Amino acid sequence: MGRLRLGCLCVLGLVVALAVPTFGVELVFWTHEDPNRTAIEEQYIAEFESMYPDVTIRRVTYPSAEIAQVILTAFAARRGPDIFNMETEDEYPYIVNRRVAPVDPAAAGYADLQAIYDDYLAGTLDAVTADGKLYGLPLELTNWCIYLNKKYFREVGLDPETDYPKTWEEMVSVSEKLAIRDGEILQRRGFDFRYPYYLVSLLPMVEQLGGSFLSEDGKTAIINDAAWLEVLTYMQEWGPNGNNLGSPTYTNARKLFNKDNNDVAMCLSGLYQIGRIRADNQEFYDSGEWMVVPFPVFEDAVNDYRCNYYGHYYMVNAESSSENQEWAWKFIAFMLSHSEEYLVECGLVQPKNSLLASEAYLSFPYSDVFATDMAKSKMVMLHEANPRFDELLKEAVESVMLTGLTPQQALDTLRRKANEILQEG
Amino acid sequence: MKRHSRQGGGIERQKARWGWGFVLPALVFFGLFSFYPIFNALYMSFFKKNLLSLAPPQFIGIGNYAFLFRSPEFWNSLKASAIFTACTFSLLVGVSLLLAVFIVSRKHIQKLMQMAFFSPAVVSSVVAASVWLLIFDPRGLGNQVVNAILQTPGVDHRWLASATMLRLSTVLVYFWKYVGYFTIIYIAGLSSIPRTLHEAARIDGASSWQDFWYVTFPLLKPTTLLVSVVSMIQCLRTFSTQYVFTQAGAPRGPIDVITLSIYNTAIRDHQIGRASALSIILFGIMLLLSWGQFRISRSEDVSYL
Repeated sequence: MGRLRLGCLCVLGLVVALAVPTFGVELVFWTHEDPNRTAIEEQYIAEFESMYPDVTIRRVTYPSAEIAQVILTAFAARRGPDIFNMETEDEYPYIVNRRVAPVDPAAAGYADLQAIYDDYLAGTLDAVTADGKLYGLPLELTNWCIYLNKKYFREVGLDPETDYPKTWEEMVSVSEKLAIRDGEILQRRGFDFRYPYYLVSLLPMVEQLGGSFLSEDGKTAIINDAAWLEVLTYMQEWGPNGNNLGSPTYTNARKLFNKDNNDVAMCLSGLYQIGRIRADNQEFYDSGEWMVVPFPVFEDAVNDYRCNYYGHYYMVNAESSSENQEWAWKFIAFMLSHSEEYLVECGLVQPKNSLLASEAYLSFPYSDVFATDMAKSKMVMLHEANPRFDELLKEAVESVMLTGLTPQQALDTLRRKANEILQEG
Repeated sequence: MKRHSRQGGGIERQKARWGWGFVLPALVFFGLFSFYPIFNALYMSFFKKNLLSLAPPQFIGIGNYAFLFRSPEFWNSLKASAIFTACTFSLLVGVSLLLAVFIVSRKHIQKLMQMAFFSPAVVSSVVAASVWLLIFDPRGLGNQVVNAILQTPGVDHRWLASATMLRLSTVLVYFWKYVGYFTIIYIAGLSSIPRTLHEAARIDGASSWQDFWYVTFPLLKPTTLLVSVVSMIQCLRTFSTQYVFTQAGAPRGPIDVITLSIYNTAIRDHQIGRASALSIILFGIMLLLSWGQFRISRSEDVSYL
């Protein structure tokens, strides 16, 4: 009986402990993995918590490839985090479905909403603006350029400073020179694409040739068949059934580039890649045997568009309590007030006017290349069905590269499915 | 007599109450985590609901089912599932039986062989698929080993690139992972057959093959039924291998099995109602095939007398 009473008391104590409300605010913060950013944000959390002892922040990271699904599942169960970020094209449906809270200018340290817009480069907050409200603050705005390994260029008799590919046609010939094959197997690729981020990197290739994914009124998908067929034919010839210069089935080029292991000579990546080269391979970083060049353009391009840019915006869950929302915006603004540190430590560019005019940005390696390209590029297409459109592009490209479908067949399928999605509304 | 039967009935009722008491937690657990999701999916399959939207679901009757049956993607998923299941199921049932017979015949290294064949079954499906992804990389072990055997240096067998090889690759991964599991089940079945029957057959002049075909195989019918039902359900439920491969760049079309389609419909397309309809269709297919197997086997109690 004594033991039974003791057991009941323990259970009761546990229930009371769990039921007693905790004082203070706890913010749950989900973000994608980036070791460089983790180091500085953990520091910001410690500083913020020491400034505001009643606030606790729990930061959780997920792999970049998984975070969109994790956050979606959490929001579907109405258990989303207070603060999160994803790529713009994945965040857009959250704005459309009103799952995120508008920015609180006062909590974020601004006099009013206009002051926030004035603080950032014109147009860079458009992706998170809807119905006159702002729904996010940018962690980064990123476009991709070509990273190349100078050593491999010189090995094949090319001068990296002048012989880098400026057109997609040159990309084929330069990659052919750089490629090392063992029969059909590519031991070293000259370049490979950033599969499967097609809305970001493939769509601009179509737009260079005068095509587009959606019509002006957004009601019809796939405009200008000739442009689309030229790009799909290019990808078909790039793949294993054509010139065998690369394939989605090889390890991602940007993951191999930093190793400087004779795996790949060029890759497509953002300014943040510089920080990762330094973190992954200090020797390669210090050697200076790498450089960044602009995104190529087709010889017969009608538009000089470069790689689309996308952003990661910090957002706040609309279902968090109003107190949590206020503290969330306060904390986000605190983190983002260190824009130079984000740039120097992580290679992330927050499009604040003050940062873009700063010595830190202007002297950052190759910031001029990225800035020049970004001036010629556009924000990635924003639509509620973006994840589905991206998947359709993936299917089209992989079907011509790998499963033997003709570009016309792939285009017909892409058009049909994309228009079905638009009709579903 | 009546008092005796009342006492007997009382004891039986008491025993039954204890039985229910012990079984109830499992029933509640099963009901909560299995029956409830099935009924919830059935209910949701008649509605149109966006996973992210807070708006209430919109009743559309059989609209989701009608859309699916008109959709070429759905029929492609059925085809992908059918091809995968047919190939993997046949291999699993046939090879695991042969392996079991072989292992049982080896007196000295039985335990070692059982462990070796069973160990992949305890590895997580995602880990298994990730490991095989490295093997199937064009520069990986897959090409190296096959080229060494066939003396075809430099040939890329496109494990993840061509439709046929991609299907073969997924079958290979699944087979590798589960053949040991079903082999162990067959070993248990073989061990339950009395040795006296084999001895009697030998005395009567039966050869090894005759012993297997006329004695062992018929007596293994209940085990074979178990293996075939479980392996078929496992094959229809496959997901991780196809998911990991498509995430790594393999084309989706040839291996877009129903489970992958359910996942994409829910997570990528945010269409939870349509995903529920797909899962109900899959459930129906599993039920039908399992029933069919029971009917075909018409398993009676096996007697050794």
